[in-house]
Amino acid sequence: MDMPPRKVVLAPDRDAARIWELQLDAVRMRRKILEMGHCNRIRLHYGALMSMVEIVTTLYRCWLKVRPDDPGWPERDRFVLSKGHGAPAVYVALWMAGFFEERHFDGFRRLHSILQGHPDRFKTPGIDCNTGSLGQGFAVACGMALGAKMDDAPYRVYSLLGDGECNEGSIWEAAQIASNLRVDRLTALLDWNRKSSYGWMKGRNDIEPLRAKWEAFNWAVYECDGHDFASITAALCAAEEVRERPAIVLCRTTKGKGIPYVENYPTKPNILLSDDAYAECLAHLDQVEAELRA
Amino acid sequence: MTQARDVTTAYSEALVEVGGAFPNVVVLDADIPDSCMTEPFYRAFPGRAFDLGIAEQSLPTLAAGLALVGKIPFYNTFAVFAVHRGLDMIRQSVAYNRANVKIVGHAAGLSLGYAGPSHHALEDVAALRALPSLTILSPSDAVEVRQMVWWMAQYDGPVYLRLSRSAVPAIYAPDYRFEVGKTVRLREGSDVSVFVTGDLVVLALALHDRFAAEGIGVQVVTVPTLKPLPPEEILRHGRLTRAALTIEDHNVFGGLGSAVAEIYAEHLPKRVIRLGIPDTFTESDDCPVLRAAFGLSLEDAVRAVRRLLAAA
Repeated sequence: MDMPPRKVVLAPDRDAARIWELQLDAVRMRRKILEMGHCNRIRLHYGALMSMVEIVTTLYRCWLKVRPDDPGWPERDRFVLSKGHGAPAVYVALWMAGFFEERHFDGFRRLHSILQGHPDRFKTPGIDCNTGSLGQGFAVACGMALGAKMDDAPYRVYSLLGDGECNEGSIWEAAQIASNLRVDRLTALLDWNRKSSYGWMKGRNDIEPLRAKWEAFNWAVYECDGHDFASITAALCAAEEVRERPAIVLCRTTKGKGIPYVENYPTKPNILLSDDAYAECLAHLDQVEAELRA
Repeated sequence: MTQARDVTTAYSEALVEVGGAFPNVVVLDADIPDSCMTEPFYRAFPGRAFDLGIAEQSLPTLAAGLALVGKIPFYNTFAVFAVHRGLDMIRQSVAYNRANVKIVGHAAGLSLGYAGPSHHALEDVAALRALPSLTILSPSDAVEVRQMVWWMAQYDGPVYLRLSRSAVPAIYAPDYRFEVGKTVRLREGSDVSVFVTGDLVVLALALHDRFAAEGIGVQVVTVPTLKPLPPEEILRHGRLTRAALTIEDHNVFGGLGSAVAEIYAEHLPKRVIRLGIPDTFTESDDCPVLRAAFGLSLEDAVRAVRRLLAAA
């Protein structure tokens, strides 16, 4: 597999070709996620998955130092999907990176499958931590980064959180601890799509002002457009320059992004796609791809 | 009897020993390294011990992260908080990840008597026994604690170590070697088996002596490993007697008594009476007073043995 340089900021003009490739990767990922759900007749969290596509694509295509042919490589970057229900998107990224073969998607969420409903490090090559209970993966990542700091280890630890997940008190306990212990090998990313499972958080389980909260916990805070590869890489690069305290990248995203049927779904888009809906979604992605290739 | 040695002090010393032998051992606390006697470790190994503050549900997750990158974390706080505060974290991030985390629950049972029920860990074994991949250890004396700590540091997998706050005279022979999963027969007897765990072994030994005077044989067996508990480790003693009594500083639901009853129910048609806290919240007082008030006195045990003999 080709390996362009990792961990570099992508400039929209100079790196237009690379960004274009990533945009095509994002279309492929959206298409595969839809297929996973529809072909297996599964009700997936399409909204929550679509908002993280560019983030996960960036991590596995341009950023994480990992070896698909050696998932246990001791010097690899660690990644903990704290928003564990986003597993399908990560599975697609791992497949695209070469961690396992496409045939395994046939057994997704079935007995004996290497692809479980939520991340399982014993079954899926490339998964570093079992998650699924919100508010915990991030704290585990803080512990990993603490260990890495103790060892002056040659890897970083990454964790992707949901914004709804920030309702969990355990997130804020870990945030305090990471700050107090000056854990600086940790880059947290947050999928800031402003909705949790039941709907808009504003007026209900709101976490605003989010930036101010993380700053109040002494984290270095960066923001980006979570669907723009140049923006994401710039924020990641800045976050990784921070020393003696942890850093978080708040990624402004839209739930269901990239597929109007999902983005505009009137209720929560944890749905079983009908054949017609599936066809409509695929047609949109085909059109996006065609425009990219024009 | 040899001089009583405090179990927590023995733990503290053993922790420093394994810290020296195994550079990956690290220690976590939640604002009470003094009560947990981990301060010597901080002094011996600066940079390998962290006080997270009053954030007990973060102990299992931070420890899991450390374990997943190769450390051997021992996390410490009062047993009631070590287990219950972050039970989902223990289940999901420790047990389900099979993370090499050592959970040390201090002052278990009624140890913290005066503090009252909020601080009495009487359901901790029940909560953890149902979790796959966890080993649960309950030492009786200082010698056993030290051996358990050494075993824990070298075993790859999550472990709960349940420490009470009592000074217990050495009850094992000098050549005793702790073996995970094995029970230990301290006294022979062919009438009633008494299965006991933790520092209440002293009560069980007193029970043996009381009935010896009447010519009744009370067999005393300690159960240092509450999970895994292979049935044969209970049956090889139980077969020799007419009935069984269990004694623990824990609720009667879900702890040692339940474990023994489960095994008897499947293998041995003999009666089992469980001594423990009778499904109630307790109160504030000195630990021995509370034990007497809530069903764990010598007289309670004597009455139970007589009931068993009358029915057997």
